Amino acid sequence: MSERKKLLEVNNLEVTFGSRRHPFRAVKGVSFDIFEGETFGLVGESGSGKTTIGRAIIRIHPTSGGEIRYRGQKINGRISAALDRTVTRQIQMIFQDPMASLNERAKVDYIVSEGLYGRHLKEEERREKVAKALSDVGLLPEFASRFPHEFSGGQRQRIGIARALIMDPDFIIADEPISALDVSIRAQVLNLMSQLQKERGLTYLFIAHDLSVVRFICDRIAVIHKGELVELAESEQLFANPLHPYTQALLSAIPMPDPIAEKQKKLLVYDPSMHHYENDPPAWVEVEPGHFLLANQEELEKIRDKR
Amino acid sequence: MAEDIILSVHDLDVKFTLRGQTLHAIRGISLDVYRGESLAIVGESGSGKSVFTKTFMGLLDANGSITGGSIRYEGQELTQLKSDKDWRAIRGREIAMVMQDPMTSLNPLKTIGAQIEEAVVLHQGLKGQQARQAVLEVLEEVGIDDPQRRYRQYPHEFSGGMRQRVVIAIAVACRPKILICDEPTTALDVTIQAQILQLIRELQKKYDLTTIYITHDLGVVANVADRIAVMYAGDIVEIGRCEEVFYDPRHPYTWALLSSLPQLGVKGQPLYSIAGTPPNLFQEVKGDAFAPRNPQALKIDFVERPPYFDVTPSHRARTWLLDPRAPKVEPPEHIRQLRKQGVNPYV
Amino acid sequence: MPSLRYKDRKTEALSQSVGKTLSRDYKPEEYFEPAPYDPSAGERGSYTNYSYWGSTLRAFFHNPVAVFFLVLLVGMVVFTIIEPLLPYAPEANTIYKGDTNLAPCAQYWFGTNSIGQDLWSQIWSGTRTSLFIGFSVALVEVVMGVIVGVLWGYVRKLDFLLTELYNVFDNVPQTLVVIIISYILRPGVSTMIFAMCLTSWLATARFVRNQVVIIRDRDYNLASRCLGTPAWRIMLKNLLPYLVSILTLRMALAIPAAIGNEVFITYIGLGVPLEVPTLGNLINSGQTFINEPTLNYQLFLPVLILSIVTISFYVVGNAFADAADPKNHVN
Repeated sequence: MSERKKLLEVNNLEVTFGSRRHPFRAVKGVSFDIFEGETFGLVGESGSGKTTIGRAIIRIHPTSGGEIRYRGQKINGRISAALDRTVTRQIQMIFQDPMASLNERAKVDYIVSEGLYGRHLKEEERREKVAKALSDVGLLPEFASRFPHEFSGGQRQRIGIARALIMDPDFIIADEPISALDVSIRAQVLNLMSQLQKERGLTYLFIAHDLSVVRFICDRIAVIHKGELVELAESEQLFANPLHPYTQALLSAIPMPDPIAEKQKKLLVYDPSMHHYENDPPAWVEVEPGHFLLANQEELEKIRDKR
Repeated sequence: MAEDIILSVHDLDVKFTLRGQTLHAIRGISLDVYRGESLAIVGESGSGKSVFTKTFMGLLDANGSITGGSIRYEGQELTQLKSDKDWRAIRGREIAMVMQDPMTSLNPLKTIGAQIEEAVVLHQGLKGQQARQAVLEVLEEVGIDDPQRRYRQYPHEFSGGMRQRVVIAIAVACRPKILICDEPTTALDVTIQAQILQLIRELQKKYDLTTIYITHDLGVVANVADRIAVMYAGDIVEIGRCEEVFYDPRHPYTWALLSSLPQLGVKGQPLYSIAGTPPNLFQEVKGDAFAPRNPQALKIDFVERPPYFDVTPSHRARTWLLDPRAPKVEPPEHIRQLRKQGVNPYV
Repeated sequence: MPSLRYKDRKTEALSQSVGKTLSRDYKPEEYFEPAPYDPSAGERGSYTNYSYWGSTLRAFFHNPVAVFFLVLLVGMVVFTIIEPLLPYAPEANTIYKGDTNLAPCAQYWFGTNSIGQDLWSQIWSGTRTSLFIGFSVALVEVVMGVIVGVLWGYVRKLDFLLTELYNVFDNVPQTLVVIIISYILRPGVSTMIFAMCLTSWLATARFVRNQVVIIRDRDYNLASRCLGTPAWRIMLKNLLPYLVSILTLRMALAIPAAIGNEVFITYIGLGVPLEVPTLGNLINSGQTFINEPTLNYQLFLPVLILSIVTISFYVVGNAFADAADPKNHVN
C-alpha cells in the first residue's frame, strides 16, 4: 500500500457549527487518507457528520481545526486564487437528492455546462462538450434543451454526474448519490460510476448510510459515529472482521433479499454506554495493517485475546 | 394461511385529472388480502403503490377518482362511501396507516401523551386515569423507555426512530384490523430501520393485525412479508408468497428489481440494471408496460397486455413469457444464485 | 391516445411518434418471437414537452376568474389612457356652472360634483393618476427591493450591516416621511411618488432577503458553488428565477396598496392638490355626502372603481403566482 499515492489527506479535521456560545462539534478530530484511483467509503447515520466532512473537503463548510491536503497542498482555510481554481476544477461533487440539486429554472444545457462559463469557451465548443458529457452518462444529447422537470430521478442524477464530469475532475465526492433513487435506478447509477472510474481513473469519496451499497463499490471503508471515525479498513476486511460494536450493529442490520436467512437473523444493537471511556479514553489505533479502530486499552486487549 | 379474506379489491381503476390531462394511475388491479397476513407491495415511485393503498382509506387527492372496480372490506363496499363521515368509521378505526415521515403525522404543538390519549379515548372508550394508563402501556409496548417522562414531551424532543415508534403507537392504539405501513423506514437509519420492522412484526402478532407494507426496496421486506405483490406502472405484475417471489420470480421486472440489489452484486462487475425509466402514465399504455425496457420482450408484448399466468395456486405473474407458446427464457444468473447463497454471510 | 383536452401541435406530433415506436405492427404468427430491443426507447418514453413560461401561461389562462379580472383590469387601464382622446370627452377640471350635484344622467354619465365638474371624466382622470402612482411606486419598490434584498440575503458579509440599517429605518413611520417630504417639497404627484418610494421598498427588500436565505443553501446552489460559479451569476440564474412568482404577487399587491396609501394621505390632507383629480381626492371630497342618499354617488362611484382595481390586482396577482409555481405545472 505504501507505493500508492495519497490524493487527499485529512488530518485531525474539526468542524463546528452554531454560535460561539453554543458550539456544536459536527466533526471531531477525523483523520484519513484517500489514495489515487480508489473508492473510499464513508458510512454513518444521518447526523453523524459524514456529509459535513464531504462539504468541508469541497470547501462549502469552513473548518475549525485540522487540515485537508489535496495532492500535498493545504486546501482548507485561506488559499490562493490559483489554487482555488485548480481545486474547483479537480474536485467535484455529486449530490444526494437529484430533485433538489438541479436548478429547476435553467435548461439542462446551462446546468451541465455551468462550470465551463469561467473558461470562456466558444459557444460551439461548449455545446459539443455538453453533448459529450450527456452521452457519457447515457443520456441523449437532445436532452440539453429541456428543463430538469421533465426527467425522472435517475436521469436527473445522471445530469448531476454529467455536470461534474464536464469539469474533467480527478476526485469526486459522491454524497449518498443513490439513496434517493428507486432500486432499479440505483444499479444504473452505480454501474455508471464504476465505469467512469475505470475509463478516467477517478477517485471517489463515497458517502452513504447503507453498508451493502458501500461494500459493493468501495475499496476501503470508514465508519463514522457522532462525528468520530470508529473503524476504517479494506472493505472485505471490514466485513469479514468487524471490530467495533457499532460496525457490527450496522452489518447485522443490512437487509438481505433472502427470506429464510432474514427470518433467522439476529439484530445487534449498539449502545454507546457499553464503553468505559471515563478513565481509559479511546485512541485511533492501527490494529492490523490498514485496519484502524477507535478503542481504549482494555478493548484492544480483549481483541488481542480473541486472536 | 386460512382463506379468510379481509379486503378484496377487484379490477380497480383510478384516474387523476391534472390540467386537462388524464393520468391512469391504477390500471385494473385485483387483489385479495387475507386476515392476519403481512403483505408487501413493492414498486418504484410512480408505480401507483401509494395511490392504491390510499383508496382503502378514502384518501385520494381531490383530482383523483376511482373510475371502476370495487374494494370490499369485511363485506362492505368501500367505493360507495362518499362523505368524510362514512370514512371516519373506517379510517383509523378499521384501517390505520403509518406514513414515511413521522413528523407529518404528529402534531408538533401537542405532547406525545396527549396525541396517543386522543386515539385511546376515541377508539377504546377509556377515560381519565384508565386512558392514561393505557397510553403508558402502549408507549412501553412500542419500546419507548421511561414512558412517564416521555408522555409529557413534544415530538421535536424525539429522534426520528422514536417518532416513528410513536406514530405506530397511535395507529395501534386505535385497535385497527389492518395496518398500512407506507415506506415506514425509508427516512430512518439502517440500524433503526431493522428495529422498527421488528417492532411492527411483534405488534402484528400480538394484536392479530393484517399488515400491508409499501416499499420500493425488495431487500427490506424479506423478513417481514408473507406475500409480496410487485407493482409496475399501475398494475400488479407478480404476486406470490415471499419465498416464491424471492427464489422463483417469473416476471422480468421482478428479476430486474432483485438482481439490481447491490447486496447481490459482485465487486468489480457491473450490477444487473434495467435501462430507461417507467412509462409516462399520461399516455395510454399498449401491451405490456414494461416491454420497452425489457431486453427479453416478445413481439406480442407490444401488442397485447398479458393476462396472469399461474405458477402455483398462490403465485402468478403477468408476462407473456409464461405462455406455453413463448420461448424459454432463463432469469439472470444472480437470481439462480440467490437460492444457493443462503444465509447472510456477514452475521 | 387519451383525449387531451388541450392539444398543442408539438405535443401531439410527439406523442404520435412515441406511439409509433411503442406499438409496432406485428403479425400474429410472429407474436412469440423476441422483439428487437432498443435501450434508448425506455429513456425517451418519459418525454414531456415542458416549457416554464408556456406552462405558467397555460395554467393562468385556465383560471376563468383570473382571466375575467385580467381583462377587466387591462380594459380599465387602456380606457383611462384613451378616455381623454375620445370625441366630446369633457375636460376633467371644466366647471359647468349651475350643474352642481347633478345625479347621473344622459349628459353627465356619473353626475357632477358640488362645484359642477363632470364626475365621469374626473373619475377616469383620477384613476389614471392613481394607477400611475401605483405602478411607479410598485416598480421602484420591487426593483429596489430585489436588488437590495438579494444582496442582503446572499452576501453574508452584508447581512449584519443591512439588518441593522433596516431596523433603524423601519422604525421611522412612513406617514411621517410623507408628511416631511410634502412639507419640504411642493405637494404634487411626483412628490407623492417620491415620498412613497423612499420607504416602501424596505419591506420588499426584507421579504426578498428572507426568501433568499431560505433557498440560498439548497443543494442546487451548493452545486453551483462547487462548480466555481461566481456569486453574481448564482444570484441572477439561481435565485432570481425562483422569486419570479412571489415577486409578481408582491408587485400586484403593491399597486393597489400604493393607491390606497394615496387615498389615505389625501384624506389626512397631505396629498395631491385638489385641482389634480386622483381617486384619493375624489373619495375625500365625496365622503362629505356619505349620509345624503341623493348625493352619495359622489363617494360610491370612485370607491367602486378603487375596489375593482384592488380586487382585480389581488385576484390576478394570486392566480399568476400560483400559475408560476412549477409545482402546479403538469407536463
